[in-house]
Amino acid sequence: MLFSSIPFLYYFLPLTLLCYFLAPRRAKNAVLLFFSLIFYAWGEPKYVLFMVASILQGYLFGRLVEKYRTKNPRRSKLFLTASVLFSLLLLGYCKYTDFFISSVNAVTGLSIPLLRIALPIGISFYTFQILSYVVDVSRGTVAAQRNLIDLGTYIAMFPQLIAGPIVRYADIEPQLRERRSTPEMIAAGTQRFVLGLAKKVLIANVLYQLITTYKATTEPSVLFGWMYAVAYLLHIYFDFSGYSDMAIGLGKIFGFTFAENFNYPYISRSITEFWRRWHMSLGSWFRDYVYIPMGGNRVPPLRRYLNILVVWMLTGLWHGADWNFVLWGLFFAVFLMLEKAFLLKPLQKLPVISHIYTLLLVTVSFVLFDSSRLSEAFLQLGRMFGAGGVPLYTGEALYYLGSYAVTFIIAIIGATPYPTRWMQKLSAGERTGRVMAVAAPVVLLLLLAVVTAYLVDGSFNPFLYFRF
Amino acid sequence: MQKNSIRIVLTTVLLGIFLVGFSLWAALKPADAASDAERRTLAQMPALTGQSLLSGTFADRFEDYATDQFPLRDEFRTLKALTATGLLRQRDNNGLYRVGEHLAKLEYPMSLQSIDHAADRFEALYDTYLKDSGSRVYFSLIPDKNYFMAASNGYPSIDYEAFAGALKARLTNMQYIDIFDLLELEDYYRTDAHWRQERIQDVAARLADAMGVTLTGSYTQKTLEKPFYGVYYGQAALPIAPEPMSYLTGGAIDTATVYNYETDTTGSIYNAEKAAGRDPYEMFLSGSVSLLRIDNPQNTSGRRLVVFRDSFGSSIAPLLVEGYSTVTLVDIRYLASNRLGNYIDFTDCDVLFLYSTGVLNHSDTLK
Repeated sequence: MLFSSIPFLYYFLPLTLLCYFLAPRRAKNAVLLFFSLIFYAWGEPKYVLFMVASILQGYLFGRLVEKYRTKNPRRSKLFLTASVLFSLLLLGYCKYTDFFISSVNAVTGLSIPLLRIALPIGISFYTFQILSYVVDVSRGTVAAQRNLIDLGTYIAMFPQLIAGPIVRYADIEPQLRERRSTPEMIAAGTQRFVLGLAKKVLIANVLYQLITTYKATTEPSVLFGWMYAVAYLLHIYFDFSGYSDMAIGLGKIFGFTFAENFNYPYISRSITEFWRRWHMSLGSWFRDYVYIPMGGNRVPPLRRYLNILVVWMLTGLWHGADWNFVLWGLFFAVFLMLEKAFLLKPLQKLPVISHIYTLLLVTVSFVLFDSSRLSEAFLQLGRMFGAGGVPLYTGEALYYLGSYAVTFIIAIIGATPYPTRWMQKLSAGERTGRVMAVAAPVVLLLLLAVVTAYLVDGSFNPFLYFRF
Repeated sequence: MQKNSIRIVLTTVLLGIFLVGFSLWAALKPADAASDAERRTLAQMPALTGQSLLSGTFADRFEDYATDQFPLRDEFRTLKALTATGLLRQRDNNGLYRVGEHLAKLEYPMSLQSIDHAADRFEALYDTYLKDSGSRVYFSLIPDKNYFMAASNGYPSIDYEAFAGALKARLTNMQYIDIFDLLELEDYYRTDAHWRQERIQDVAARLADAMGVTLTGSYTQKTLEKPFYGVYYGQAALPIAPEPMSYLTGGAIDTATVYNYETDTTGSIYNAEKAAGRDPYEMFLSGSVSLLRIDNPQNTSGRRLVVFRDSFGSSIAPLLVEGYSTVTLVDIRYLASNRLGNYIDFTDCDVLFLYSTGVLNHSDTLK
């Protein structure tokens, strides 16, 4: 089920909220888990078995890892390995089997048939949550959860189930035991949710219409190529961060505080900074569970660079089972290494150039990310720079530039911290604050109405996360 | 502190009422069978079975149902259209755009592949039925509304000259009758793709003249009581006033009979039931029918006309009836071409291929 759908907004969510707030405190996690499983099973009921199996193994191995952690560390490690293997093999089977087979076919010339395994939505997210939980239990940083429902709630909680943020058990464990949904939290959560919904439906989806138009055009041009690239850059940010906003907002309504996942990544002045601001929960996961265990920065430079390559190859693969994602990850690895080696310091002295440098590289990277084949990526990048004799612009490109100009402007301004700062400033003022106290809820109401209108109209509503 | 409290209360109450209010309304509202504005049946509540639940079809169909049956659906669609075109300043909404009080659907780019496919179909018909039939074969092209609205208002537009040229280059066995210069935007309905019958008598006269027939009939214009909302009205969901729909009566039109091969029934040129229905334009020759024959008892010359046509043909064919004893209308979007020989005698008749650019630019439906 998608957050940006009528069944979720007007059937599932009100019913869940009603049952949740009517339930006694002890039963709230059970209510949340029950509705989360319905949410997950909606449309793809069979995959709920994978999730239940994952929850059970996480619970069981977590308990065993903890039980033997001091008494018999070897056995504890064995259970940890079993849990990690279970998670990775399930993820590998569902997500990477066909990628592996097609790669073997390409290298050897064999024709091993693909298995065409459908990818259970959100498996990359909940697998990583289980992995971090079991590893943290093994490290002794958290205690194993004794209540299966509480652990199930952590893993399956619908607000963050299918598109993150990747929530750490350590962060959420106290809230699983004891939390309150205060009026402030409910209002703030509602605001965050509606803003995220508007980002997704009114900006990301609208820009994706332009992307679709570009991909169907028979008249490519340099201008249209750049419009596509910038539209995709903005689309993916508003789509992904919008979903994170919705998740964080819903979490707040239920009394949870999830970690932030985006922090205006397009204002970054280096790739290093970009990855501190983009999909932060994934970046920190790889840092804590892959990069640092491999030695992190405390190893000789060559080994450090190797670690970076491995982490970014895995980051690419996490995003999708194809070589363009691997290349996408390695693309960032190269620039991260260059920045680590010498580039970061000069970049810090050149604010405008460093900003252009970062945006240009990120734009190019997302063209790669959006391409189904490497050849398509190179074709597209070539068009952006006039290769193949494509014209500078066409009448069609100019038309769509005019048609999407306002959306572009709103999206570009919305990708910076300025709107938030303006709102905070207005809210802080004596007179403007009083106006904002009334105006802000009214604007939110209007946004919800317009979002509903877009959903009712059956407008384009792509789901980006199917491959995660 | 007080400001914050107001904000918290207002946010929770306003959005809560909206969400819960529409949830209850959606859950309790009886399902509508169809949407007049969108001219389609609406999804109904799917049956809940173990199989539909496990296969995921229930979820898919419930989503269609929930979206189709949402309270104030038409009003929300208008809100979306106004947001897209007014606030976001998008120049079209779902591919439809507005110039003054006229709506049109973007028709771009020109598809040479589609034109070739249409030409292939027409040539195949010519080779199969017309080459040695002694018939005189003509073709004419009806410009869609974009011809008048697009380029001059900054919308992408196909090159209509090139479009006609590409067809003429292929259909060398047929005589081309150019009608572009006789038409203007006001000859079309404001919220529909079609032309207005009361304004195309000159087009009918030119077609007839080119085929060696003179039309002299004078008709009386009548207007339907029901205001006309065209197909674009519902698709665009923009607030545009309806317009009257007129039709011409008198002379051969009143006495002609129409035989419908699909239903094996005989009726008249205008279908009153359709005029009161979802798409009043279907009053002309009962709308989308694959094969019709109009018999004109007032013309005893024995001269026959076969028109290969799309929906534009429905409103102009009645004006051509006067010149012929029979006019047969064929829509090869709904009838396989290889079956035509069973129904139509192509010997020594006038044959007119009359198609709009909109259909020929998406000709994959031609069989």
